[in-house]
Amino acid sequence: MKRLLTLLAALFLASSGLGLAQTTAPADQQKVVTSASKHLIEIGLSYHGDQIHFFGVSPVRDCDLIIRLTAEKSEEVKLSVKGRVGPFWMSVKQYDVTDAPFVYKIHSTKPIEQIVSPETAQELELGYAAVQKKMKLHLARGEAAPDDADKVFKGLVKIKEEANLYNIVADPARLEIAEGQLYKHYFRFPPAATEGRYVVESFAFKDKQLVGSGKDVIEIKKVGLEHWLTDVSQNHPLLYGIMAVLIALGAGLLVGMIFRKGGHH
Amino acid sequence: MDIYLPIAGMSINFFILLGAGGLVGFLSGLFGVGGGFLLTPLLMMVGIPPAVAAASDSNQIVAGASSGAFAHWRLGNVDFKMGLVILIGGIAGGTVGVQVVKYLRAMGNFEFVMKVVYVLMLGLVGGAMFIESWRTIRRSKKGDAAGGEEMGGAKLGQIFQKLPLKMHFQRSGINTSALFPFGIGATVGFMAALLGVGGGFIMVPAMIYIIGMPTIAAIGTDLFQIVLTSANVTLQQAWVNKTVDLLLALTLLFGSTIGAQFGAIAGRRMKGEQIRILLAAIVLILAVKIFFDLILTPSDLVSLAPAKGGGH
Repeated sequence: MKRLLTLLAALFLASSGLGLAQTTAPADQQKVVTSASKHLIEIGLSYHGDQIHFFGVSPVRDCDLIIRLTAEKSEEVKLSVKGRVGPFWMSVKQYDVTDAPFVYKIHSTKPIEQIVSPETAQELELGYAAVQKKMKLHLARGEAAPDDADKVFKGLVKIKEEANLYNIVADPARLEIAEGQLYKHYFRFPPAATEGRYVVESFAFKDKQLVGSGKDVIEIKKVGLEHWLTDVSQNHPLLYGIMAVLIALGAGLLVGMIFRKGGHH
Repeated sequence: MDIYLPIAGMSINFFILLGAGGLVGFLSGLFGVGGGFLLTPLLMMVGIPPAVAAASDSNQIVAGASSGAFAHWRLGNVDFKMGLVILIGGIAGGTVGVQVVKYLRAMGNFEFVMKVVYVLMLGLVGGAMFIESWRTIRRSKKGDAAGGEEMGGAKLGQIFQKLPLKMHFQRSGINTSALFPFGIGATVGFMAALLGVGGGFIMVPAMIYIIGMPTIAAIGTDLFQIVLTSANVTLQQAWVNKTVDLLLALTLLFGSTIGAQFGAIAGRRMKGEQIRILLAAIVLILAVKIFFDLILTPSDLVSLAPAKGGGH
């Protein structure tokens, strides 16, 4: 009985916490009931990315949906900018970028600016404009120029989009809605999406107001040999180095010997 | 067929890696160069992070070179004494070189300086080798083998004859002061550190033209040396930078060890000047490519900053 009470209290606290976090329309906020085809992706030897199907029921009929995939971890990226010096192209400055998401994918029923106001988009971090505003640039080398922020951000998005880590798709065909309420879609997790926890959040809007949200957590982890190699290399680097050299030497000599026996003249 | 590389954090087609390893292994067996100066850019082109590419590359070279060195040792092409003296010089020069690099890096734009030195260096070495071997080939075609042109380094060699610490290098058939190969080793080691490469493509011509070793002995001896230096680099990279991807290296070495055997066999079937003209052509092509990198407008002005540590 006592346990049950604690659990209820915890749930209550958790849900009120959620309400506090999303201040846009706390009164009308409802939960978007969601589900995923799986919650765990295992990286094995032949892993080359994976995709997960997501389902959900929006709380209100015929509302607009924005679904966002991000990673729990953040990363620091170092970007160098090339410029012309005389006849040569060389890297003239370097920026350290923080607070840029590692993964950022969005599926929405309409272009984001038609669904929410810029303020709400900023608050909920929806769309590239919001990402750019949150991102921090630190000049590590060289001289800053006024248009650097835009240039660096565009460069980052391009690099990320090529790795299939960023994209924004506003296409009803990719986000199917049946009976005005039941929706389904899938996110592709590219091979570049490394170990860690990923969050898929669904936001439902009606008349530019947030009417509900839901969340799924996906975990990606390495298994077997992949897990072991990563573990040894990061936690016992000296041992790993010696092992790498010995294996390489052994393999080289072995092949040398095989060839001597097989094809020597 | 894809394979997931745990440290690089990406998946890639298995056969692409196998082919890249095989190609570089073949060249390494044929020329006695580490091949790192080709493989690292190749790996970066298929999307492997530069730091991981460079580190795993040196791991792969340990295997490729040891297989090649073993084959050459069997054929009696390794001058261990010469190799060790050069190696000691190389370590001394390399240690100084690393400190100079550190200093230049702190001043900024080291990468650009490095590329300019690269172009000059490769152009000079490649051009000189190309002209020399082309002349030799033409002369042998005319049947005028008696010519015997004076080697550029012969005079330098005579000066060193008079210095102390005289040694006899039996395999190379050279009698000279140990300071001579030590000095060559130190100079090449210094430049190798500056350029972030193992230096095989500088060392082999230096051994042939300046020390005056027979082509095949220079190649065998250089391979022997590369095994030791790349083993050291692999260990350091794994220990300090944690960027050695064993799975990547194993796949590459699977291709390269086999390629190296064919390289060594092909090396025996070709004349010294033919091998030299081929190496010269590759070195020249690389010089031209880097030169164009410096002057052509890059497709992306913003790129991921290169991580520490170069190729070999």
